Formats: sequence, C-alpha cells, structure tokens
Amino acid sequence: MKAFFTFTILLTALAAIFFESACQIPRNLTGAQIDPLPALMLVAAVRAPVMAITALAIMGSLWQSSLSSDPLGISMLPLFALGMLVHLNIKSISHHHIGSRFALGAIAGTLMPILTLCLLLLTGHQPMIGLYSLWQWAVGIIGSGLFALGFFPWLEWLDRTMEEQPFAAPYDTTTKIIRSPKFYE
Amino acid sequence: MNKRTYVIASGLVLLLATVCLNLSPDSSARLKRAFSSFFIPLFSLQKGAEQAGDLIADNVAPRKELLQEISDLKQSNQLLRLRLAQNNNLIQENDNLRKQLKLLPKAEWNPRLTRIVGRDPANWWRSVQIDLGSMDGVKVDMPVLAAEGLVGRVQEVHPHRSRVALLGDPACRISVTIKATGESGVLNAGGGTVFDPTLVDLLFLPASTEARPGDTLFTSGLGEIFPRGIPVGKLLAVEPAPGALTTTARVKLSVNSSKLNEVWVLMQ
Repeated sequence: MKAFFTFTILLTALAAIFFESACQIPRNLTGAQIDPLPALMLVAAVRAPVMAITALAIMGSLWQSSLSSDPLGISMLPLFALGMLVHLNIKSISHHHIGSRFALGAIAGTLMPILTLCLLLLTGHQPMIGLYSLWQWAVGIIGSGLFALGFFPWLEWLDRTMEEQPFAAPYDTTTKIIRSPKFYE
Repeated sequence: MNKRTYVIASGLVLLLATVCLNLSPDSSARLKRAFSSFFIPLFSLQKGAEQAGDLIADNVAPRKELLQEISDLKQSNQLLRLRLAQNNNLIQENDNLRKQLKLLPKAEWNPRLTRIVGRDPANWWRSVQIDLGSMDGVKVDMPVLAAEGLVGRVQEVHPHRSRVALLGDPACRISVTIKATGESGVLNAGGGTVFDPTLVDLLFLPASTEARPGDTLFTSGLGEIFPRGIPVGKLLAVEPAPGALTTTARVKLSVNSSKLNEVWVLMQ
C-alpha cells in the first residue's frame, strides 16, 4: 500500500505548506519563514519509494509556488535532488537518533534555500536578499531540524499504519529456532 | 527498485521543471490558480475557525467595555460627520473649478475591506493573500491601503483570493512625491531588516534635493496605477551625492505590513 502512503505524504505536504503561509507566529517571533518541505522530503526519502519522492518534489513545489511570488515549480529540482541524495545513500546515513535526525533536517534546511536561490538568480529573477537573509537562513536551518524531529515519528507511524498486513498468520512461520542441545539440559 | 525507475523519475522531474520555468507569465498564472485551488478547503476551514473565534469573543466581552466602546465610536462618528460635511463642500468647490478649467473629473475611491489570509512562504518576497478575488471584482494593479497609508498593489487575481505585492517587494515599485519639495523618486526594495520591514530605498531623487529627514511622501499619481496623494511614509535620511545627477534616500513606510490583518482594496 505504498500508493496510499505516498498519498498521505502529499496530504502532509499540503497541510504543512498551508500552515507555513497562514500561521504568522514563527514569522512574527523570528522574522523568518520556516520551510517545512526540506525536512519532509528528507524523511520521505528515508522511508518512501522513489515515486513518492518524485510526487512530493513535483506537487510540493507546485503547491508552494502557487501561494508565493516564486516562479512556478522553482523548488522542484532542489527538492528532488535532496530526496535522491538521501535515498541513494540511505545505508550510509544514520537516522535513528534524535541528534542525527535534527542534524539531517538542518542540513536539508541549509541546502534547499541555497539551491533555490541559485535557480532564481540563474533564471533572471531579483529576490530580496541582504545581510538579514543570513539570519533568515539560520532560522530556517534550525526550524528545518525541528521539523525533521516531528516528521520522522509522523511518517514512521503513517508507514506502519498503511503497511500491508499479513493475510493469515500474524507471525513468521518460516523461521525455525534451532537451539543447541545444551539449552535443554 | 531497478535503475530504470530512477531514470524515469529524474527525467520526469527535469522535464517538468524545464517546462514550468519556461512558461509564459499568463500560462504560469493560470497554473498557479489551478494549484492554489487545492488549498480552498483549508482556507475555508481557517475562515470558519476565525468566525467561530470572533463569535466566542463577542459573547464573552464584558458589557461595560462594550458600552464604553459604543460611546467612543459615537463621539468619533460625530466628528467624522462634521469633517465629511466640510469635505463635501470642498469636493463640490473642486468639481466646479475643474469644470471651469475643463479638467477631467477625479475618479471616486471605492474602498472594500478584506482580510489577509496568508503570507508568502518564501523569505525573499513580500506578498500577502487577501480573501477577495475576481468574483468580487478585484483586478490586477488595484491599489491596496490601510488606514495609515499605501500597502501595495494587487499582483495576481484568483476567483476567491488575490495576491498583493507589498511596498518594498521588487514587484511593487512606485513613483512618490515629497510633499515639502514636490520632487519625485521611485520607491525600491532594499534597506529593510528582519524585524523592521518598513525600511525601503527611494531612488532617482535629484542630487540637489532640499528634502530633509521627516518630510512626508505621497503617491505621485504617475503611472496611473495609484491615485495621487496616498500617504506612503517619511524620509529618514538622504545620502549626499556630490557630482552625481541623482541620489538615494532611506524611507520609513507608514504601514508596517507584518502587523496587518485587514486592508482596503480600492475598487474602480
């Protein structure tokens, strides 16, 4: 049932983008907007198949730019690149501890704005950047790390809930436990 | 997962990104409208929740406070009525003079109140979403105001929502006039800080300007998007530019857009 899992990831992205736009508290407190998509893509890349990563990159960037002055789909390539980078190196990335989850989210939050800004500048747009952008970037990094801490358990729970259940035996019938005769002595 | 899936996924994303970034502005706006329609249920929920919150707040407000507010409003209403009567006389006089001079009559302002329902998710733009759209008669380039002055212009119109580019955004450069000297310049993005988005730059001011910090700025009416005379802000500092033709000044906008919840759209 990974299709349903993908669907729930997209729903999470839709809700996260909406709250990013509608909720003023983080912006009023920190002076910066925190993007939840890098953290969500990171967690999706750890747990979901490549088609879910593709769907999240496409729909996430299109939804986000539809509420923004950004050109349509500007974050599509950076999001996909981030997702593939994590997905292809998943075996060499530690993601089971809070510290490593936060660090991974922070790295995702570091890379995404840089890649998106580069694309914006390459396509001839003039975004508002200045010294204050460094502060906004720093807030985005920490925020993305915190988002990752929230998204990891959420997507783990979703994955477990949406997973295909065994039809007959709820236990593994193929494995036989072989013990040494000493065990029975 | 085989290698083919990765190639197909990468190709699809690359193709879509290339197509999206090379769309015409019109097609891009149409697609944005289509994708933003996914948020309609969420925006409706938000509106419902806010209305429920307002209702609860109205019911729990103390009677004494409400009576005091009514009394204050009555007083200010009487004052405003007196000023309106005075202004009506002046408008009549102005119209007569314009007729005698064979000038075109001034268009009347038709302001409509609207709520801000969202802000730009990106840090590098200054725009907000309002809950009036093309179904309510909103069109691109309509001016948006608050009680203190100009807020921005309508940048993109959807059926039930519109996006407003705020002053200070690269998409909202306007021509302004300094009241004290009559000189004009162009308000441009830049100069803002994280916690004070009301700072912007004023470009193309004559180098020999006599403008001083504290001078007030109004819309010049040039460009025919904004009517003349809407308050914009105050001059903070003028950069000396010996030998140059033009100079730059720092301006503090009269409206702090980050604190706004409601704005007026000037319908035509």
